[in-house]
Amino acid sequence: MTLALLDTNTYLRLAKRIRPLLGVEFGQKPYVLRVLKDVEDEVRRNRTLQFKFPWFDDEDFGAERDAAQIRLKAEERTLLDNTQSVMRGHVLSDVDRYTTGGRQPPSDTDCRVLAFGQVREAIVVTDDLGMHLLAEDFEIPIWHGWQLLAKMRTAKVVSNELVREIYRALEANDDLTRSWLEAKHTEFVRIFGPLPK
Amino acid sequence: MQKTLHSESIRAALASKGWDQKKLAEAVGVSGQAVTNWMKGEDFPRPATLLKLASILSLGFEQLVCADLASQPVIAFRKKGGAKTTEEHILRARAMGAMLKPLVKYLPARQSLRTQISDTSREYDQLQATVSAVRSKLGVGQAAVLLYEHLINQFVENDAVIVPVMWGEKKRHENALHIHLPVEKVTFIYLNLDTHLEDFKFWMAHELAHVYTPDLAGKEEGEDFADAFAGALLFPKELAHQAYVAANTKRSPSGVISALHTFAKEHVISLFSVFTEVSKYAAAMGLPQLKASEQDVHAVRNSVRGELVSATLFRPLPPDPKTYIASAHSVFQSLFFTALQAMLRDRETGSGYVQQVLSVALPDAQAVYNELTR
Repeated sequence: MTLALLDTNTYLRLAKRIRPLLGVEFGQKPYVLRVLKDVEDEVRRNRTLQFKFPWFDDEDFGAERDAAQIRLKAEERTLLDNTQSVMRGHVLSDVDRYTTGGRQPPSDTDCRVLAFGQVREAIVVTDDLGMHLLAEDFEIPIWHGWQLLAKMRTAKVVSNELVREIYRALEANDDLTRSWLEAKHTEFVRIFGPLPK
Repeated sequence: MQKTLHSESIRAALASKGWDQKKLAEAVGVSGQAVTNWMKGEDFPRPATLLKLASILSLGFEQLVCADLASQPVIAFRKKGGAKTTEEHILRARAMGAMLKPLVKYLPARQSLRTQISDTSREYDQLQATVSAVRSKLGVGQAAVLLYEHLINQFVENDAVIVPVMWGEKKRHENALHIHLPVEKVTFIYLNLDTHLEDFKFWMAHELAHVYTPDLAGKEEGEDFADAFAGALLFPKELAHQAYVAANTKRSPSGVISALHTFAKEHVISLFSVFTEVSKYAAAMGLPQLKASEQDVHAVRNSVRGELVSATLFRPLPPDPKTYIASAHSVFQSLFFTALQAMLRDRETGSGYVQQVLSVALPDAQAVYNELTR
């Protein structure tokens, strides 16, 4: 079983419509999705996110996240701290590389999520392009949110109609990132057709 | 500069495991020569290999990699009373410094001539001579009110970029943060606008002292000098003499405080600053101290703290991003947001960068980002 770890934005983009999302095995590999406690903390700290995603506090969503929590052993925590510190140090020693083409330098929390992926051999799912570059540097497997959606579609966990619905919601919320937009007419060309000329 | 491994801490970690370099090479999956080259500083491992080293030796980045001290941001805090600076505060501020480096090329060309204070003595007469020279340079009489504009002009002339921020009145460890980038020769001064007006000028003068004494920035003696300089610059000997004469005729602590308060209001500085400077004056001149104690001053001061700078600048609070950004330029003559806007547009940098250089909550950073990129 391969763990796939969702960052906050990916969780918020998918969790309302794909039910249940966390802790369910899917695909041949199979994969199982989890979120870190940092997601819970980030949304709790942020009134705008709470306002924008009121369903986050609903009991069934909270229970699903609680059941899918990942607990670390003491030695794993030390390893996680060291891995996070090396990643953050790497970013800070060359910030310039992370400030172009829609990227932003991965924050401490971003580095922690990627470090977690490294320690637990999980695939990190995020649309943050800075995190993708960092993951590339450290040879850590990473997916965009749409790549996860495509795998779930192949595994028949989500239907074409649900993919359309998710895209409609992202567009309505002005939350369609560049990579999701590109995937609309490449990965999901059978649903949305080719890019209009 | 080529990064190098911290060979001493690696040797210590190997010794504690009872390993030699050969065993390390096997564990990492590289040749013995590769490890030798790393330890000699002739080569540096790839990121994924560095991660393996961290994991095998149980070391963090700071222990694994030699810090490039020459290019490391120099940090000085203007702390809140009683706040303790921890390693975490320093690392966070250094991270902000590293984040600021790509922004520097979007700032105007640096000045070649800057003001520097070489005599950093805090001895009364020497310090008074220093601030007297600074006031003369600014074209401000020894007993005149030093205005914000005087201080702001000095920041601009000395390549210090003011970054006005709204960090809240109580949440943060520091009220002002000074980040000097030694290679780029630029200083960023973060000023928290959620600060009482009566303290604000003092902090600006404190930060100016850091700008004038770059070699002392980040050191304890630098902080002590900056505090002494700020008090003396805002309320020098001539004023302290006038205040002493006015207050010394009063028989009760409340009368003394009332006399000092008149000066504090006129100069838009705190009662405590006036009291401190008058006390220093009396001690230096061998005169009896005033009939009011520090406790008396604090008791009065705590009951009349006045408005926050943010409240005087922006009504209603919080300001919309456009007003906030405009104030940085119009009030503080800062080109910070102009440079940031140019960078965001030119490099298509994401909004998380704004969050990290301003050290604010994501929604606030997003609002500033939207305004700068629309």
